[in-house]
Amino acid sequence: MSQEAQPLVPSLVAILRKELRETLRDRRALWMVGLFVVLYPLLMAASLHKMIEREVRAEREENRVMVIGAAAVPNLVRQIEDAGIRVDAMNALDEAGIAALLARREHTALIRVPGGFAERFAALRAAPLELWQDSSSVQAAKLRRVEAVLRGYGNDIAQARLLAHGVALGVARPIELRQYDTASRASRSGKLLAAIFGVFFVATFYFCMNLAIDSTAGERERRSLELLLAQPVPPAAVIGGKWLAAALLCSVGLTLELLLGHALLSIMPLEEIGLSWRVTLPALLGVLVTAIPLCLFAAAAEIALVMNSRSFKEAQTAVGFVLLLPLLPVLIVPMLELDTAMWMYAVPVLAEQTLLLELARGHALPASAFVSTAGVSLLAAAVALGVAIRRLRSERFVLGI
Amino acid sequence: MIQVHDLHKRFGAVRALDGARFRAEDGRITALLGPNGAGKTTALRILFGLLPRDAGTVDIDGIDPGTTPLAARRRLGILTDQVGLYERLSTREHLAYFGELHGMDRRAIAKATDEVVDLLGMADIIDRRASGFSQGQRLKVALARALLHRPRNLLLDEPTRGLDIMSTRALRRALCALRERGCCILMATHVMQEVNQLADEVIVIAQGRTLLQAAPQVLRERTGADDLEDAFVQLIGSEQGVAA
Repeated sequence: MSQEAQPLVPSLVAILRKELRETLRDRRALWMVGLFVVLYPLLMAASLHKMIEREVRAEREENRVMVIGAAAVPNLVRQIEDAGIRVDAMNALDEAGIAALLARREHTALIRVPGGFAERFAALRAAPLELWQDSSSVQAAKLRRVEAVLRGYGNDIAQARLLAHGVALGVARPIELRQYDTASRASRSGKLLAAIFGVFFVATFYFCMNLAIDSTAGERERRSLELLLAQPVPPAAVIGGKWLAAALLCSVGLTLELLLGHALLSIMPLEEIGLSWRVTLPALLGVLVTAIPLCLFAAAAEIALVMNSRSFKEAQTAVGFVLLLPLLPVLIVPMLELDTAMWMYAVPVLAEQTLLLELARGHALPASAFVSTAGVSLLAAAVALGVAIRRLRSERFVLGI
Repeated sequence: MIQVHDLHKRFGAVRALDGARFRAEDGRITALLGPNGAGKTTALRILFGLLPRDAGTVDIDGIDPGTTPLAARRRLGILTDQVGLYERLSTREHLAYFGELHGMDRRAIAKATDEVVDLLGMADIIDRRASGFSQGQRLKVALARALLHRPRNLLLDEPTRGLDIMSTRALRRALCALRERGCCILMATHVMQEVNQLADEVIVIAQGRTLLQAAPQVLRERTGADDLEDAFVQLIGSEQGVAA
């Protein structure tokens, strides 16, 4: 048996180097990695930029309301104007006219004073006041300011009347509600950032896809796999070399993607929309190191799957299905609005996402979260590798090459 | 030297090999003849330890590829029927890759590369990438990578398929040179001209069984045919007639 002993590492390294060299010369594969490095960070930056711009514009933009029958409510008009809201007046408008006016988006809302308002008001009976809005186009912040003015107007009248009847103000206002918000900016950012980061880690499965397919199904299609298997190389070295090449490319892609995302978040004026990005570079590197096992898993899973395909095309179809799987936890969990729990660190992709999310929220994480995240991916990678090596040894596989 | 005795292999209900036996000596070119589906490819795959056999013995320079496939492969140079090259690698990189897989160091690879480039006359393509190579150039690269580690035994599966006359002659010259050096060359082929010009021994297999192993002239004498092709057809035809 001594003749049989063949060191695993040199042939594994030879295969690894050859696969990387081939991929580095494959312009299409490199474009694909490059695309996914910039795709999600740029999408994220574009959507955040849009939100920031909208917020800033809303602050600067004039808040206008249209009042029909303004003559009946001079005090209200003054109070609205005092709140910095411009008032336009009109005599009459039917419902269709109101809808058309609001659809032009020049006015936040329309206040109509119905006939008989003055009489009911004078008789100390509840006087009707109509507030029209187009909820499909109106900006919530602007509308809230209009509503606040209307509420304040009603309260002021009530207090004045009570005072006139000799009733102490405290009788009508048994409690005075004071509201406080303890959420820090970072924790409020959580939900939005969670959706963003999940997608960052999904890209992991795209980074290694081309190499995984080209080095297995592609090698079968070119009819070079039989010869490779006829070399004095153990199956573990064949699978191992291709796997590590794919995982290495994947790690480089993920590193570049996260660094780009970090740089963009760091320079964007997130405070304008009440968000903040407080993950430091060392913490980010910690996440990266913890996410490397995800690269190992993605590469192993894809190789175990696509090695069964006879051509590049067939492999792409097969892998397309698998690419959906990492999306599931990432899309579904934020929708369920679950609290962060330890089990999340045991689901690949979701674990990495949760890790980065908790750091972004400014929470301190237990070491077990990191260990679980890396450990589960490593374990899954080992299982996928075992399956792939067994498959390579099987007679059915050899007959099909 | 390669010896196969009473080799059996079945896939489900199909008996791919049903007691095949043959022997390829050092310093000789042995042709493996047989119709499609005769079991040639299965036999070769068992020789390089890619498929396990059901019964029988296989011996490559005293090594059994069934138990020690890697050791057997180190003594084999293999040219499969499909010349799969890596389009983005140069000829030199192809050779270096397969040299490394055979555990050769950098200096040994460089020396062996120079030798096979001389032997096969391929200096013009040594630093070119494989995409755009002609069939002849591809075959030269494939043969060079099979020879790089100086194997004692060569297994060739239809080596002249798709080659033009010049390339076929170059290959023939190379095989003769290797025979001079004492290589054991086992060549599965369909080309009778090749067998006529090159082979010292002919093995005829059909339906997984060896019908005959002899020198080409013995085959002609035994069947009473002047032409090797007629002799082959007669041998196969009659046998299959019996089997049917």
